[in-house]
Amino acid sequence: MKTKRQKSGILTRLSLKSQTKAQLKIQQMAFMLMAITLFFVLAGMFVLVIKFAGLKESATLLEEENAMLLVTKLANSPEFSCGEAFGSNRINCVDFDKVMMLKENIDKYSKFWGVASIEIRKVFPKSQEICTAINYKDCGVIEVFSKDVNSLPPSSNFVSLCRKESEDGKIYDKCELAKLIVGSEDKR
Amino acid sequence: MKHKKAQEEIVGFALIMIIVAVILLIFLGFYLSGSQRDTVESYEVESFIQSILQYTTDCEDHLEYIPIQKLIADCVDDETCLDGRRACDALNSTLKNILKESWKIEGDRPLKGYEFTIFAEGEEMLIIKEGNSTNNYKGSDQFLAKKIEVFFTAYY
Repeated sequence: MKTKRQKSGILTRLSLKSQTKAQLKIQQMAFMLMAITLFFVLAGMFVLVIKFAGLKESATLLEEENAMLLVTKLANSPEFSCGEAFGSNRINCVDFDKVMMLKENIDKYSKFWGVASIEIRKVFPKSQEICTAINYKDCGVIEVFSKDVNSLPPSSNFVSLCRKESEDGKIYDKCELAKLIVGSEDKR
Repeated sequence: MKHKKAQEEIVGFALIMIIVAVILLIFLGFYLSGSQRDTVESYEVESFIQSILQYTTDCEDHLEYIPIQKLIADCVDDETCLDGRRACDALNSTLKNILKESWKIEGDRPLKGYEFTIFAEGEEMLIIKEGNSTNNYKGSDQFLAKKIEVFFTAYY
């Protein structure tokens, strides 16, 4: 027969044992919650780091894409296109005279296209001479404008560079093959 | 004992989840950075054909120096320039020079070759081919009057 004292001792030990077990379970749950939170925080940080690391790069890519799109439509914009000066409306035709005039008044247009540089280079017949009002007929490079910034590899497109030419008092249209080159700013 | 086994399984599962997530992120990174520009853009090939058709050649008729587009039609009709050259000869030499200057294939350049063909009423009238043909190419065509078709393909 157990005494009253013995009985209470057993009860106390039993309650202590179940208390320890419950504490252990709470601890396990707490650790698990902490681990899950830590995992999500780390994964989130990883994603954020990747995203922000590519932010400048995507800005540059967008600039480059913008230059590429611009180069495809620039030749047909009113500032460059031949219009009807050489007969019917021509596609990808750049008016040499118009571009030379644009070059002289470029201060008004430098921010208009949002690119770092615009240049026209004759492909055939080739010449490396920079165009001025003096060497107008025989030059090969028209630097429309160029900003003093870091530029990415430029986008280019073929155009027909046309002007009015005269020979023995006879005026005719002379079109040469050129490349319209647009450079975008490197934002990195 | 049973409790410990369950814990081990949870840890294993979590590890697998982490590994899968990391692999997915790496693949995502590769996929997003993989969008590069082509060596030759299709708009370049299209604009090239349109531009050369407007090029003023040194072949003169009674009115003016004629553009390539008209020279092609003259070649079909077997006409001659004012200086006595056959229109087809003038066309051939002009196109060869233009192509040589516009699409350079020598050395380590990304462009491997090109092919320029003119068909008149379904028959091959002129072909200029340089370099090698590869499986990567960009091409364009232009239809003109008198059932003339101009094709250009750049291989890279």
